[in-house]
Amino acid sequence: MDINLLFKIAGIGILVAVLHQVLSKAGRDDQAMMVSLAGMVIVLTIVINEISDLFATVRTVFNL
Amino acid sequence: MNIIKIIGIGFLTLVISILLKDVKKEFSLYAVIVGTSIILLLSFDTLKNIVEFLENLTRNLKGDFIEVLLKMTGIAILTEYAVSLCKDTGETAIASKIDFGGKIVLIALSIPVISSTLEGLTKLL
Repeated sequence: MDINLLFKIAGIGILVAVLHQVLSKAGRDDQAMMVSLAGMVIVLTIVINEISDLFATVRTVFNL
Repeated sequence: MNIIKIIGIGFLTLVISILLKDVKKEFSLYAVIVGTSIILLLSFDTLKNIVEFLENLTRNLKGDFIEVLLKMTGIAILTEYAVSLCKDTGETAIASKIDFGGKIVLIALSIPVISSTLEGLTKLL
């Protein structure tokens, strides 16, 4: 569960950066913006799931 | 608690966040958030055993001080997690506000303990 999350984020980050460069060089700046936004949304969902796991664990361990 | 795994994940997160820093600036923050929460989750497994041991140890004690103590440590851990993340990106203003909020919550939590100890003292005198 844990390690490949990191690799997934790294992969998405690099992919988005490359696509952004390619699309902006090809003159389609709006699609480049769309790609980076989509990448950010995907990574944000991963981050939010991870943080909700963390808070749930803390809540159960310390019965907050 | 295999420390090797924790150090390994720490270095892995470090490398990934540095790699992402020059490729795409904001993604390095996401990698750091996920990496640090993974390390915390790993160390919480052993922390759970310690907490259970503490609870069994103090089961027959009067008063729920151990309950409040555990809550305080939980709040302190989470606050420190958020503060160090904010400081890491250089946002010291946000970090200090979170720290301030955490302190307020801790003080609010400790009010009943203080009042009960004072009552105990006044009964003694």
